[in-house]
Amino acid sequence: MKIPAFSYHRPESLDEALGLLRDHGDDAKVLAGGQSLLPIMALRLGRPEHLIDIGRLPGLASITVDGRGKVIIGALVRHAAAEGSTDIAGHAPLVSEALPHVGHTAIRTRGTVCGSIAHADPAAELPAVALATDAIMVAESSDGVRHIRASDFFEGYLQTALRPDELLTEVRFPPWPDNTGAAVSEVSRRHGDFAMMGVACTISVADEITAAALSFFGADSIPIRATEAEQSLVGRQPDGDAFDDAAKIVMSTLQPGADLHASAAHRRHLAGVVTRRALAEATSRIGAMA
Amino acid sequence: MSADHQTSGLGFVGQSVKRVEDQRLLTGNGRYVADINPPGVLHAAFVRSPFPHATIDRINVSAARRAPGVVAVMTAAEINAITNPFPPFLMLDGMYTPLFWALSDDRVRHIGDPVALVLAESRHLAEDAAELVEVDYTALEPVASIADALRPTSRQVWPKADGNLLYDSSTEYGDVDAVFAAADRVITERLSCQRQSNQPMETRGTVIEVDPRTGHLTVHSATQTSHVLRWVLAALTEKRSMGSSIAAFARNKDRRTAFIAGARSFMATNKDSLGNQDNSGARSQFRKDRSFPIHMQRIGLGLLAKDDYPTVLAQDIGGGFGAKGSVHREDVALAAAAIALGRSVKWIEDRVENLTDGGHAREEDLTVSIAVDHDGTMRGLKVDLIVDQGAYPGFPVGAGFTTQIMQVMFPGSYRFEAFGMRSRVVATNKGKYVAYRGPWANETWARERMVDIVARALRMSPVEVRLRNMIGESEMPTHMITGPTIDETMSVRKTLERALQVVDLDAFERERAEAAEQGRHLGIGFACYHEAAPGPPDYMDSVNAGSDALTAEVARATIEADGSVVVYTSQMPHGQSHETTYSQVAADELGVSIDDVKVVWGDTRRTPFSLIGTGGSRGGPLGGGAIKRSSREVRRMLIEEAARMLEASVDDIEIVGGNIHVAGVPSRGLTFAEVAGAVTATDPSAHPFDATVTYNGKGDGGWSCATHVCFVDIDLDTGKVAIPRYVVVEDCGPIINPAIVDGQVRGGVAQGIGAVLYESSIYDESANLQATTYMDYLIPTTMEIPDIEIHHIETLSPGENDFRGVGEGGMIGAPAAITNAIEDALAGRGARVTTQYLPPTTILELAGVIRPD
Repeated sequence: MKIPAFSYHRPESLDEALGLLRDHGDDAKVLAGGQSLLPIMALRLGRPEHLIDIGRLPGLASITVDGRGKVIIGALVRHAAAEGSTDIAGHAPLVSEALPHVGHTAIRTRGTVCGSIAHADPAAELPAVALATDAIMVAESSDGVRHIRASDFFEGYLQTALRPDELLTEVRFPPWPDNTGAAVSEVSRRHGDFAMMGVACTISVADEITAAALSFFGADSIPIRATEAEQSLVGRQPDGDAFDDAAKIVMSTLQPGADLHASAAHRRHLAGVVTRRALAEATSRIGAMA
Repeated sequence: MSADHQTSGLGFVGQSVKRVEDQRLLTGNGRYVADINPPGVLHAAFVRSPFPHATIDRINVSAARRAPGVVAVMTAAEINAITNPFPPFLMLDGMYTPLFWALSDDRVRHIGDPVALVLAESRHLAEDAAELVEVDYTALEPVASIADALRPTSRQVWPKADGNLLYDSSTEYGDVDAVFAAADRVITERLSCQRQSNQPMETRGTVIEVDPRTGHLTVHSATQTSHVLRWVLAALTEKRSMGSSIAAFARNKDRRTAFIAGARSFMATNKDSLGNQDNSGARSQFRKDRSFPIHMQRIGLGLLAKDDYPTVLAQDIGGGFGAKGSVHREDVALAAAAIALGRSVKWIEDRVENLTDGGHAREEDLTVSIAVDHDGTMRGLKVDLIVDQGAYPGFPVGAGFTTQIMQVMFPGSYRFEAFGMRSRVVATNKGKYVAYRGPWANETWARERMVDIVARALRMSPVEVRLRNMIGESEMPTHMITGPTIDETMSVRKTLERALQVVDLDAFERERAEAAEQGRHLGIGFACYHEAAPGPPDYMDSVNAGSDALTAEVARATIEADGSVVVYTSQMPHGQSHETTYSQVAADELGVSIDDVKVVWGDTRRTPFSLIGTGGSRGGPLGGGAIKRSSREVRRMLIEEAARMLEASVDDIEIVGGNIHVAGVPSRGLTFAEVAGAVTATDPSAHPFDATVTYNGKGDGGWSCATHVCFVDIDLDTGKVAIPRYVVVEDCGPIINPAIVDGQVRGGVAQGIGAVLYESSIYDESANLQATTYMDYLIPTTMEIPDIEIHHIETLSPGENDFRGVGEGGMIGAPAAITNAIEDALAGRGARVTTQYLPPTTILELAGVIRPD
């Protein structure tokens, strides 16, 4: 379980980093918190020839809220910093809801929000949060900047739309809509484990449900929205019946697989459970966030 | 005397004095094997099989040998040429125990089976080169389960065995058929326990230093048994012809004299048990493998001829739970490499290796029948046990010996008129089987699970069935139907009665009803057991005639010229706090502070020989008993000298706080240093006071007992089991250090919670191990372990030494209490718990919430 030899680069500027990615792209990996990458290398499941440590790049560790309420999280923002951010709690509450579920304190102290999204583990919380909130991923390369919508970003198991020469420099969460509550509900074997099934959920209510997002993790090879269930909620009262109906649709549409930790039937069952729990919790939070 | 260690005048034993280990260990100043870095040491990595079962057709190491930093790449061709195979030990009649070698040469038998050893300037480089070793395998049909192993057409794991069934033995106590025919009902269930792994925080590791002048090996190892490791390394690295061994032995007069003296002493110490020795196991082994006696004789004669045995040094160890009680194939390969290269070598196992080949345990199927009357009287017991030993038996104690303990202990604390047991051990293509904290514990799990099943069938409460059948004090002394004496130390009934006072069953039933209205499912489960720690005098012979020698424990105590007290133990502490408890025991015997006592362990040059080391909950009763007696003896010597100096009678001398004086005249006292100095003044070479005592617990032994009560709250939305309350009422006799006993109980219960809810070394149907990292082999953390409420009963034993063992009990009781509570919670939904492992998916399947995929 020792990491095989690699070339280590520690660029001092974004341009230098992007140059290194251009030169080494396919054979390189970006190192930020290293909480997923380094274990993969130690197990020799992945062996990049170059690690580009972005830890010294200036200006990427900031959390900003623009005039319209958009939240921008830079590539070097650690989970722990995001977890403690009142800006994120106020303007991107679904992110705040998700963070306590990410690994353990030690992992969150090093791991980064953008790193988690770029790694794209389908059982991880933050990719599903990005998908639920229609976040924008900002990918920079020496050719320029691309803005990638979350719905286009996650392509397959640990695979994203990022090109090998691109760096995910920030993730942008759109302004938080009015009358909208957020909740993350997940079930894992132990505290801090990847979820057997989880959902990042938002619900907007004005007299009746006007919009809802149900973004599942641990359900497929990528985070996945239950659009049919989301639409079933619109126009209804936010009550147990509506949530039960949405849960039924979720259970009939998701096709989770089995692994050591849960059977497929168990995961399908849990999808219904977390749907009901998350919708109720998110609804109860609407007032609190107003 | 430091503030932490003031004695109240009542002595240290019985007090929760702070652990003397903690200053060192909690400040990062422990010295573990990974901290040992001899100059120029070579780092080892093993090339391991990716196949569960395959022939090795060709190994090409040339690319690996050319890799950067590589000093040597050794395969079975080099290693096995200079080593002997692991011989069978503790042989049972009818059991086939394979001879096996440090590295596999023609065949691999499980994922992770070591086939080559790379030695390089760093572990990184060694791992890089290990990837370059080319091995051509031809896959063979794998044997992945007990069912596979019992199928007559399955491929044999060991060609010299009769199929994959290595052992098949049946024993009856009483007239089983008659009792079963006479009882009102027979209730039968098939129970199965999943494969688990011991999982110490520190993995295995060994560093071997070679003295360049003499070739002497100094072995630093994370071992529970330093002397056994020393002897096994000596035995298996001395490969020479028998003729040459005999000639060498005959030439070496010192060795010859020492051997004869040692043999005489051993035979004198263990006269009774040696007379009972049962040789049928060796005979049946010989019938199956004719090379067996040749290897045995070569090993035996080699040991006699060998000039220089290795020194084993073991210091701080980060847990073992039994797995480090084995001598491992890797150790022998490393010793052979060190000898061949004349270089020091180091191997620190990584977690993937540890989960794969660090030792597995507990994969057992048990079909249990209980003959019972309508009133709940359990009359007869029948058990059909099958153990999946994997490919290689743990050395020296494999699964066979464990089945014998299970057999003796199976009836537990209940009266049975008859008991029949069939024990089988099968070979499969899985990781090796080792002892794991209470290696026989599935007898308690299966029996206590069955008591609940019987109760449910009879519509009685599980507590009522236990009380109706459990042996009580008025019947003592008596015997278990399997032989061992039951005396008043078998206090299980007292622990159950206390538990019933502690937990309010009526209040629980009210709470359960309220919870049910909210859709929550509460349950309660009891488990009761007694364990031999060390057991009554007739216990070991009930297990295996002649194995009584295993209980002997030797300790040495000295008072040095400066007055300090040093005690030497053959115990191998690896988390149990021996340093603290032995200091307490010796300090009280000698009338000094625990700060004045130094405990020496792990160094084979200085510590007494032991066939076991630490295991079997023997540290308190046998290790502690030996410390007590050697301390007492050295006190006697000290007082004799002091009496002479004070011109008083020995009977009038007392020691208080290190002051030796005539009773009532403390002002005219002597210090330990003054008395010791008087001896060295007349003879500077003298060791002032020095006593070595052998103690086997006979006549002093007894049982450790407990009742566990587990409360569960099951969420049928998720399948998750919460444990809002867990109660242990235990009786290990008088307690040396309550905080340490509580720690042992809590740790054991935590592992029991792991066993039921989290841990499974699961193989797929092709014998591929699925759980090779902590992402898949789940160990409960502090977040998953509830507060554990512990109550003590301290029953004295009839003997003089009252310490009884406590290391294993927590783990013995917990799986039964937890699984019983889970069935209780789900009983209304018709659930029947028949597996020990109950992950959330299984919980929901049992409750009928989901269907199996």
